[in-house]
Amino acid sequence: MTLDTYRLAEEPKYYPSADEVALYTAAYDLRLPVMLKGPTGCGKTRFVEHMAWKLGKPLITVACHEDMTASDFVGRYLLGPEGTYWQDGPLTLAVRHGGICYLDEIVEARQDTTVIIHALTDDRRILPLEKKGELVKAHPDFQLVISYNPGYQSVLKDLKESTKQRFCAMDFDYPIPSIEAGIVASEAGLNRADAERLTKIAGKSRNLRGKGLDEGASTRMLIHAGRLMSAGLSIDAACKFALITPITDDPEMRSTLTAAVDACI
Amino acid sequence: MLVSDWIRSEGLSPALRQAFKGPHRDAYLRAYDRLHGAGYGAGILSDFTSAAPRTANYAGPDQAIALAADASRIAIKAGPKVAAAYLTLSPNMALKLGDADRFCQWRDMVATVLKSNPKAVLELLERAEMLLDRLGLEALGAWIQTGLRQAEQDKDKALAFFKLETPEAQLLLERYAGDESFPALVTGLKYFYTALWRDLPVLREAAIEGPNGRVRRTSFSSGIIQMPTAFSGFRGQEQQLYRASIVHVGAHITYGAARFELGQIKPLQVAVVSLIEDARVETLALRDMPGLIRLWLPFHTAQTDGLATAQNLFAGLARALIDPGFRPTHGWICKGAKMFRDCGARLDDPSISRHIGNILGNDLGQTRVQFDAMSYVVQPAYRDDNLGLWNLPIDPETPPHSEELETDLNDTRQSKADGSSHDRKQEQQDPETPDPAESVKLVAADPDAGRKVASLPEYDHHAGIERSDWVSVNAYQPALGDPEFWDKLQERHDATISRIKTVIVASETGKRRRLKQQAEGEMLDLDAAINASIALRSNRQPDPRVYECITPPNRSIAVHLLLDISQSTADPAGAGINVLDMERDASAILASTMSQLGDDLAITAFSSSGRNDVRVIPVKTFDDPLGEVTGMALSGLRPGFSTRIGAALRFAAGSMGGLSRYRKLVLLVTDGEPSDVDVSDAEYLVEDARRAVQQMRAHGIDAICVALGPDAGQRQTEIFGRKSCVQISDIATLPNKLSAFYLRMTR
Repeated sequence: MTLDTYRLAEEPKYYPSADEVALYTAAYDLRLPVMLKGPTGCGKTRFVEHMAWKLGKPLITVACHEDMTASDFVGRYLLGPEGTYWQDGPLTLAVRHGGICYLDEIVEARQDTTVIIHALTDDRRILPLEKKGELVKAHPDFQLVISYNPGYQSVLKDLKESTKQRFCAMDFDYPIPSIEAGIVASEAGLNRADAERLTKIAGKSRNLRGKGLDEGASTRMLIHAGRLMSAGLSIDAACKFALITPITDDPEMRSTLTAAVDACI
Repeated sequence: MLVSDWIRSEGLSPALRQAFKGPHRDAYLRAYDRLHGAGYGAGILSDFTSAAPRTANYAGPDQAIALAADASRIAIKAGPKVAAAYLTLSPNMALKLGDADRFCQWRDMVATVLKSNPKAVLELLERAEMLLDRLGLEALGAWIQTGLRQAEQDKDKALAFFKLETPEAQLLLERYAGDESFPALVTGLKYFYTALWRDLPVLREAAIEGPNGRVRRTSFSSGIIQMPTAFSGFRGQEQQLYRASIVHVGAHITYGAARFELGQIKPLQVAVVSLIEDARVETLALRDMPGLIRLWLPFHTAQTDGLATAQNLFAGLARALIDPGFRPTHGWICKGAKMFRDCGARLDDPSISRHIGNILGNDLGQTRVQFDAMSYVVQPAYRDDNLGLWNLPIDPETPPHSEELETDLNDTRQSKADGSSHDRKQEQQDPETPDPAESVKLVAADPDAGRKVASLPEYDHHAGIERSDWVSVNAYQPALGDPEFWDKLQERHDATISRIKTVIVASETGKRRRLKQQAEGEMLDLDAAINASIALRSNRQPDPRVYECITPPNRSIAVHLLLDISQSTADPAGAGINVLDMERDASAILASTMSQLGDDLAITAFSSSGRNDVRVIPVKTFDDPLGEVTGMALSGLRPGFSTRIGAALRFAAGSMGGLSRYRKLVLLVTDGEPSDVDVSDAEYLVEDARRAVQQMRAHGIDAICVALGPDAGQRQTEIFGRKSCVQISDIATLPNKLSAFYLRMTR
């Protein structure tokens, strides 16, 4: 089996903010595991996709969640008509056949689950499948990338120190306004002036990060709002629909954000 | 011959005949007779004769007749003059109130005031119409109740309240008036400022009236923004106005530079320079956020054709500088607008404000326009008083610096309202007062120096309202006692402690649960496996969760232990020990139990001496480790004062708001029912505490109570509910029972 279905056919657009492409390439050359930190919707996933495409490797993405167990990563025995059979999990697939495995929002998974990646992320580069009694040696092309958002998770969720220390890490944040406006303009097909307005509005909401809002409006949200504007919605309607209402349920905060949008347009 | 017989024979006036018919006429005449017989003088009788028919027209004859008895009572307790005032006022009140029920409520209000403070009745009557206009009947009732409650012991204070002389009376008037006032808007304002300008300075409430009785404007200085409690005359626009105002201040802070030196310039020039500076920072803000014009412009109401007074010219210039559509006609305004426009490229430079302002100020000084600096109020209303722009020599208005910056916003609302700045003085005397939220310090702190840490609401079940910022909580440093507390505790309660240890171990293991139908686990869950096989054979999708496992215990609990240390805990509870000694030992054992279980614990001892001094002693906060200092602080507790349970509960709940734990618990240990020196009504504090418990539960914080002593329990059950209250009649068993109770409650 090959991972052809996991190869990206088209280039995912990515607008570098700094030297992240060079850093990632260096890490991949050495097959070092990489950790991407940053708020939601700032482009972490897009960056990994872009790099996978650039390096020509298949990308297997796993969105982590609370109920995630080790089997969901490595695979499990299933019952078939002929008896039981082994089904590789996404991590095992990437390890066996050589791909980039991207564990998105890894802290969402339970800490005891995530230790299975330990043997993969040091110089051993192996994945023991206990249930199957197999030791999978990582394919030379295999690389592990994880992402997490240090901001909004409760203090209860954090990576184990032993997990953290296996990774090189890059900080991601929302791009500076001029770059972000460019991204919004090109992704949403919007004129530059409107894109700048949206970026400014997002800046206002990000001022409230940790002071009433868990997170400010993300670049992804801005692109959504921009697309709605390209489709003919007014800027305040688009902001209400794509930014304000999704981001908070607090009436006071909504009213504040509405006023902030109004101040910027 | 009775007077009424004489009247009957002489005939009633047409108005009376019209108002009182049939049986009402007899009742009226009887009331008249009684009033006449009481001998308060002819004045009252004629007032009654004149007030009764008109009152009857609006509020019905029964209410009008009842005025006689009211007048009689008022005359006895407060004097005939007050009774006359009451009668004279009645028709107008009846007209405003419109029906018998509401008029009757008004009469009840007067009766209430009469009962508790007869002197205050006249003050109330003199302002009743204004108050009714502002507040409406319901809010007027609440305002009166609050006034009486506030000064339960202090008749002079109540008098001042009804004279509207205390700032608190004004403040409450504004709040109850239903205009959206600062306290209602403050959260949104903080958000708004942060969104637009990022770093929020300290935001405070200031009294409505500034010095010299002038209308107050927003003020900023040294990292503090003060906004008036309310802006009168802007009903319906309050939120916009407050927003406009705080954004304007934000523009000053963002685009302003160092303060202008006052030098020798005249007040007129100060005003003009400030005005230009206002326009300069607003213009810069508008370049960044053009939409702000929609926030500010509605408050610029200056017209082109006003009289050429200083006030009008200033308002006109203010508008001309930021409203491109405004076409001023006055030469001075046109000149100012042109100079400002010409500086468009240099707006980043604050010195242009001074330059233009000086020229314009000179020009205006040479005309006959009068400028009175004492009565000048900055227009439009959203703009600040400009005091923050100038380096003023000695300014009574300058808000205090440094240490107060860090204090909680709530701190000064009270002191501002008091006008006496009591808290501020205290802080200046003792700037080093440690933060009670921090851990217990080993320094021998003065236990008498309290520091205000919170203003809490309280519920008045009579009035059915919750009064915000009613109770002040002051934190006192623990007096440090015996350093060998823990060792001695071990000696005293050796058996109990070792027994509890065993219970903990048992409860730990007993907590493990078998989880069936899991995606993974140590063994196959046979039931699930069979179901899966059946599904497969019948060509359905099987459920892959065919394992079972056993969970490790997962405790996530935080407890705030509240110890009642009121005077009654000094009562003996056995040989040579008192109730507080038992509470102390019990909480120490509980604390060590909990630290073994890994649960979070805070211990606060509380007592109270009136609503302005709810005393809390932070024995252990959530962040402190359990150690020698905790033991010293526990052993340093001394009984004293009263028990205001509701306030203590709210305080404890407030401390847990930010914790993320699966279960949050406030555990109150008390030996008596709520009581305090300034409350005579036994139900009041019980109802308030009940309300506090309900509110906490609504926020996911459980409240449970351990009532000590053979007589306790009744009131606590009313407050906490039967399930959440345990009564321990033999206090000597408390150390033993408390931990057991805790283990049961948190299972």
